[in-house]
Amino acid sequence: MATLLAFGAATAALSAERALRAGRAAPDFALRSVGGPNLRLSEQLGEVVVVAFWSSRCGPCRAHLQELNALYATLKDRGLIVYAVNVDDDMRAAREYAAGLSLKIPLLLDPGKGVARAYRVDTLPMMFSIDRQGIVRGVRRDDRSGAPSNAGAELRRLLAQ
Amino acid sequence: MLRVARVLIPAMLALAAVSSGAQTPPPTDPAVMPPAAAPAEAAAADPAAAAPDTRALDEQIQTLKKDAVDLNRELFMLEEELLFPANTQVALFLSMDVGEYFAIDTVQVKIDNKEVSNYLYTPREAEALLRGGVQRLYLGNLKVGEHELVAIFTGKGPNERDYRRGAALRFKKSVGAKYLELKISDRQRRAQPEFEIKDWE
Repeated sequence: MATLLAFGAATAALSAERALRAGRAAPDFALRSVGGPNLRLSEQLGEVVVVAFWSSRCGPCRAHLQELNALYATLKDRGLIVYAVNVDDDMRAAREYAAGLSLKIPLLLDPGKGVARAYRVDTLPMMFSIDRQGIVRGVRRDDRSGAPSNAGAELRRLLAQ
Repeated sequence: MLRVARVLIPAMLALAAVSSGAQTPPPTDPAVMPPAAAPAEAAAADPAAAAPDTRALDEQIQTLKKDAVDLNRELFMLEEELLFPANTQVALFLSMDVGEYFAIDTVQVKIDNKEVSNYLYTPREAEALLRGGVQRLYLGNLKVGEHELVAIFTGKGPNERDYRRGAALRFKKSVGAKYLELKISDRQRRAQPEFEIKDWE
């Protein structure tokens, strides 16, 4: 049992080590969006950006996207930009899933998973808060403490800077 | 390298001087250090006396910033010289002329059947190209000899239709840098876009 726990702790530590850490420059990317123009992260330099990775096959992603949408509705007037990056292989399923949620945030498609690899996404949903200088300031994973609503204070602080 | 050292050393010395000045702890006991406290009091009483010091510090900071920018530029150039030496360097540029019959979306570039670039354009980037911007799409190394470059362009063609075209060029890489240009222009007579690859001899 102790061995199992130690293995679990080591795996979690390794996973955290692999993920893109706060304080690092956010890797730039350009992706197609659903029903909109292509978007490039570096064109938003000077703004606070949330990059959230999701999939239509991931259970908690639905609630995560809805919370993110609500957070965007509250903070968009203060300059918050949210990119919800889908990593499904099937783009049609992703589009239908997103249409069912009536989201206002831009949905980006990353079928090749190149962006997810650059951000070293190790679980879904996973979100990154990026400051006005393009530096990652927060990394949140799939647990309730990592829910977008809990990131509100952090984002307000970044928006105030 | 010497030029970098010449900039780097004074910049570091100046930085150390500024930071040591900023980190000097304030005197805790005024009775022990009356000479240091006296000028401060005098400066507080006469703001004009303190102004030259502030101006000198500001000038020093501006000089330091300029040195840092110059140093950064030199390091960037050095890095390019090291990573892409002139005898193996190949650079690929993209330009658009007019753009009435083609709205660019992606460009995929293969050299010797190996993908070296796959670029997705945002509306802002496409706009910049239409205004006359030239983009450096790829910078890499190639051995001396014969090579083949294939570029595949996708976007919206005439009448907003999805459009996909390719262009290919066989070129010879000799000793010295090689510059190639992907050029998109409108062929007015046929009301079609034209894609060509130019070799800057």
